[in-house]
Amino acid sequence: MERFEPDMTAGQRLIDMVDVGVFAVDRALCVRSWNAFMVAHSGLGRQAAIGRSIFDLFSDLPRGWLEKKFERVFALGAPSFTSWEQRPWLFRIPHNRPITGGVDCMQQDTRFIPLKDEHGEAVLVLVCVFDVTDAALLHRRLAETVSALEAERSEQQTLIARLAEAQEQLIQSEKLAAIGQLAAGVAHEINNPVGFVMSNFGALERYIERAFALIAAYDRQLDQLPPAVQADMAQMKADIDYDFMADDARSLVAESRDGLERVKRIVSDLRDFSRVGETEWQWASLHNCLDSTLNVVMNEIKYKAQVVKDYGDLPQIECMPFQLNQVFLNLLVNAAHAIDGQGAITLRTRLEGDSVVVQFSDTGCGMPPEVVKRIFDPFFTTKPVGKGTGLGLSVTHSIVGRHRGSIAVDSTPGQGTTFTLRLPLRQTSA
Amino acid sequence: MSLNLLTEEQNEALQEIANIGMGRAGRSIAGVFDEFVELSVPRVREAGLDRLPAAVADLIPDETLTAVRQGFFGRVRGEAIVVFGITGCRDLAGLMGYGSALEDCEEDELLLDVSNVIVSACLGGIAEQLNADVCFSAPSVLASHVPPAGLFDRTSAAPADTGALIVEVNFRLERHSFACSLLMMLPADSMGAIRRALDDFLANF
Repeated sequence: MERFEPDMTAGQRLIDMVDVGVFAVDRALCVRSWNAFMVAHSGLGRQAAIGRSIFDLFSDLPRGWLEKKFERVFALGAPSFTSWEQRPWLFRIPHNRPITGGVDCMQQDTRFIPLKDEHGEAVLVLVCVFDVTDAALLHRRLAETVSALEAERSEQQTLIARLAEAQEQLIQSEKLAAIGQLAAGVAHEINNPVGFVMSNFGALERYIERAFALIAAYDRQLDQLPPAVQADMAQMKADIDYDFMADDARSLVAESRDGLERVKRIVSDLRDFSRVGETEWQWASLHNCLDSTLNVVMNEIKYKAQVVKDYGDLPQIECMPFQLNQVFLNLLVNAAHAIDGQGAITLRTRLEGDSVVVQFSDTGCGMPPEVVKRIFDPFFTTKPVGKGTGLGLSVTHSIVGRHRGSIAVDSTPGQGTTFTLRLPLRQTSA
Repeated sequence: MSLNLLTEEQNEALQEIANIGMGRAGRSIAGVFDEFVELSVPRVREAGLDRLPAAVADLIPDETLTAVRQGFFGRVRGEAIVVFGITGCRDLAGLMGYGSALEDCEEDELLLDVSNVIVSACLGGIAEQLNADVCFSAPSVLASHVPPAGLFDRTSAAPADTGALIVEVNFRLERHSFACSLLMMLPADSMGAIRRALDDFLANF
């Protein structure tokens, strides 16, 4: 550092003593004064600095920008500023924390103050460099802490949201369990009366057939009776509209049987849904299951779709074949229902690693995303009232779940739907 | 809301001083930007701090505003606020010596630089008429990209009944898409000083 200079004025000494970098530049931006702070911190002595352009002294100054800034100070005669927040440093000067700082140079606020002559013209600009390194470091540390806290807070909010979601799911699954119990109870209650009604109905059907056969036999002997009796009988038949009745009774019986079958099917869907039923693990061939199910539903499919079998080479898997039949049945019937007019259903099976993949692709009407989202929900159906229970895919889903498999759906409205079933080869973990 | 901070005569004098001061400011700014500056006739109003957001929303129709504040002191103490619309003053980057691709902190610095030019020219102009010296603190960003109602969120610590004398001026540059409004706000406790300064001014006529 330079020694005390005896020819300094009191003002200059004062400026020398302040703990702020102070120097003056003229319109050519050459240094005209240079205080002790600048000497000490920049490492440039007064002799070295005075008379030289600031751009020579500090090679990394943003030249065009700074020239404009000085121009404005001279032109307006008003001060200008820089702040460490936007521009951490303007003059590359070492700071007072070489060991504990962690920043590359002095963080600074600067001020450019015009010095005016007696006519009010700015002739020099006084540059003041304030060392704000400590405050800046503190501020940054604070900012880091705040952002860490904010990150933590947002994480907590995510956790809270997840908790709420989990609670929602819990409520949903409790609801489902309750529905399941209810369904099991209802299924059980209905199953018994439906059982005896069906068996009684079988008997009733036979009795009616026999009664009609008896009447037909009487009819064949009718001409052997006296004419008066014959006329009476004919009159009576006309009165009760016997021909229609005989015909209608048979179709009433057929319709009722159909209705009973439907009730039975719904009950068995409900029982499946509530996990009542056979749960015996067996080794079985999926192709056999698929083929036997196809046989059962062929009546529903054959007029609407051509079934394409693209079977791969599959080993037997450990499964509950009767339940899988139910799954295949649901998927095949749905595929057939999705097809309007004529289409195709492709069954594709493959072995992939430790699991088998079964795909059901139809060329049907497809589903919009809002429907796809809900298809596995119990009681959700797009079929008209009375046509579907809304339990088919829900049952399918729970059966696949019991097999520790997965079911995925890919649907494009107007083009078709593909269900992809993935089942593990074996169930026992041992 | 009229707080009767100034007499009618004082109010007229301030209006006149602001008017002359802005003429001078307009010339200075035109010199800096090398371009003609359109300045509105300054409007002097009295408003409570709680009415400021509404007053600002009237000035600039944009939905998001950015504002820079700068303190001034000397014979009269107060704060100047420069309010920018949604585009800020990006169009002035070249004029102010910035590159064309502005980073976030550079955009803030540009706002501060432009505000400083406007505040110092306008207040310098007014101070000159009052024969008073004025000094400035460093400008800082008051609020960035907020709706008008949010501009003074951080000033809620000021008592709600703080009255302020507002001198508002609108700026527009001829060849650049840039506009801003300047509010000079004098707190109620600075009123004695401004009244005396205005009385001195009036006494010279």
